[in-house]
Amino acid sequence: MTSVNQYALEVNNLAVEFTTYGGTVKAVRDVSFKLRKGTTLAIVGESGCGKSVTVQSLMGLIPMPPGKITSGSALLDGEEILGLKTERLNQYRGKRLGMIFQDAMSALNPTMTIGNQIAETLIVHRAMDKKTAWVEVLELLALTQISEPARRARQYPFEFSGGMLQRVMIAMSLACKPDVLIADEPTTALDVTIQAQILNLLRNLQEKQGLSIILITHDLGVVARMAHDVAVMYAGQIVETGSVDDIFYRSSHPYTVGLKEAMPSNKTVEQELRVIAGSPPDLFAPPEGCGFYARCMYAMKVCEKNSPPIFGNHHGARCWLHHANAPAHILQQSLKDPTN
Amino acid sequence: MTLYILKRLAIGIVTIWFIATATFIAMHLVPGNPLANEKATTEVIRANLERRYGLDKPVTEQYIIYMGNMLRGDFGIAFSEENRSVNDIIREHFPVSATLGVLALLFATLGGVLWGALTAIYRNRWPDYVIMFFVILGISVPSFVFAALSQWLILNLNQVTGSSILPVAGWGNFRYMLVPALVLGMSTMAYLTRMMRSSMLEVSNTDYIRTARAKGLSTTRIFIFHQLRNAILPVITVLGPAIAIITTGGFVVESVFAIPGLGRYFVQAVAQLDYTVIMGTTVFFGAFLVLMVILVDILYSFIDPRIRLQAEQ
Ligand SMILES: Nc1ncnc2c1ncn2[C@@H]1O[C@H](COP(=O)(O)OP(=O)(O)OP(=O)(O)O)[C@@H](O)[C@H]1O
Ligand code: SF4
Ligand SMILES: [Mg+2]
Repeated sequence: MTSVNQYALEVNNLAVEFTTYGGTVKAVRDVSFKLRKGTTLAIVGESGCGKSVTVQSLMGLIPMPPGKITSGSALLDGEEILGLKTERLNQYRGKRLGMIFQDAMSALNPTMTIGNQIAETLIVHRAMDKKTAWVEVLELLALTQISEPARRARQYPFEFSGGMLQRVMIAMSLACKPDVLIADEPTTALDVTIQAQILNLLRNLQEKQGLSIILITHDLGVVARMAHDVAVMYAGQIVETGSVDDIFYRSSHPYTVGLKEAMPSNKTVEQELRVIAGSPPDLFAPPEGCGFYARCMYAMKVCEKNSPPIFGNHHGARCWLHHANAPAHILQQSLKDPTN
Repeated sequence: MTLYILKRLAIGIVTIWFIATATFIAMHLVPGNPLANEKATTEVIRANLERRYGLDKPVTEQYIIYMGNMLRGDFGIAFSEENRSVNDIIREHFPVSATLGVLALLFATLGGVLWGALTAIYRNRWPDYVIMFFVILGISVPSFVFAALSQWLILNLNQVTGSSILPVAGWGNFRYMLVPALVLGMSTMAYLTRMMRSSMLEVSNTDYIRTARAKGLSTTRIFIFHQLRNAILPVITVLGPAIAIITTGGFVVESVFAIPGLGRYFVQAVAQLDYTVIMGTTVFFGAFLVLMVILVDILYSFIDPRIRLQAEQ
């Protein structure tokens, strides 16, 4: 396969279900997005909307059963990685596809030194012997700005602070110089200053190594700082995608508008924080029509029974308001049509 | 670490003192004394014997003398066997009990870890169901039933084959040890299997196993380097109690299989109210168990760095 792909990762029509005693949870429904090389794509959305399931199914990390990928494809630089056998998948994950998790303390093995945990990846994927791997480990720790790497490498996770552990996770995921780094809420558990440091580190690494990053967050502030492109997720679907400017200045989906209004930084102290009323639909039985119908202030008749397609291309929105027959005044007042 | 061990040892010594005192009191509360059974003795002989063993002195004085001797490592002379010191009895018969116990413990832990890991790997498939059925059996059936059953099996086996493949009772080479050790370790193995299974399942659902998979490590490597070590931790914590169960269980198994171990001596001594042997064996077993628990703690700290580093501070 020629490597003239514009996209580091291309996901099409991904659908994931979980079979539980209570029924089948349709956690991810028809999700498609593209990650441009060397850029950051942010996936935003409320808790439980399917962000983690989406990226974990790409990495082959959802437990099967109960989980099942019912459809879709994921192309890593043009090569299909969805539904591979574990042995084949292991040639990608950790090597060309790195991942960091929210809670670094629980994501690291408590009984193994962090040096060994990083070295392991090098030994497995890059066939290094222990000694060479260790030299590389120290370099990686220095790269992620951990002081005294030689001493730190011999320590165990419980001897580190949360922020330091997240650096360790980053060092570990970058060990094999992956093309794509998936970061699932890497800073949610950290305080604001440490969060800023970690985000800066990620951005610097992106510039240095040409990393493509998928950044999951529910913090639009983080999106504004980090992302080139954004995918807004709601109830297992992507409801709006576009560049960061599209999402912030030309929001085309009522849910995106709601998210923006709920952002604390947009408000003066006196103004009350506006949260989106209601709660997301039950994923055991997703609504026939638009998933946002029950909470949408613009809901129309058509929305109840008919699931909207995505209108627009590079900037797309899953909302009937962009249909030619929709009342135009709403668009003029509050929403923008997707640009192209 | 050294300080930590010293502290544990000090507490251990207090524990042993407590065991010795409690045994001493309990023993003297039981009516009669070791010389009461000897029918042929006249009053004079009895008085002589009582003087010889110090039984004519007040109980508090006996206690002080006994504790003093014990501190010097002298457990006194047995009542039931003329001129045989308790130290000799322990020296001669403890190695038998220890061999049996170590074999049983080895069998129980290796078996428990292995079967437990297997059930976790084959969770909710037939190997899991079969093993867990035997686990329930092993936990609920008392060891003397297993002992009798195994003897009956050996008898039949020897009869059918017409040669003595395994001895039914007694003590000697490894052929004598095999079945008693299996019987003795059985319930502990069942218990450890169940523990290892739940511990393995718990570990396989942790975030760090997910991380290991995200790193692209092979299933085997994850199993050996990430799952096993963490899953064994809870099993090691119960090794102390497990040793206690095997030690006391040994009393029964030694009796059934006619093994000349210290446990059998202890049971005999209690029946005969042989003061010195009861005291000696109880204190000895007590000290042994205290030491084992400390050793298990040290072993644990080697496997779990969190404990080790805390102890070093
Ligand atoms: N193992 C599982 N079994 C059953 N349902 C699951 C499982 N894992 C996830 N789900 C369901 O999938 C849905 C999406 O979960 P997911 O973890 O992707 O949410 P999220 O967007 O990452 O939320 P958060 O911001 O809280 O991390 C949830 O409704 C959850 O109930
Ligand atoms: S499709 Fe209808 S209900 Fe859904 S977001 Fe658009 S207007 Fe609201
Ligand atoms: Mg999540």
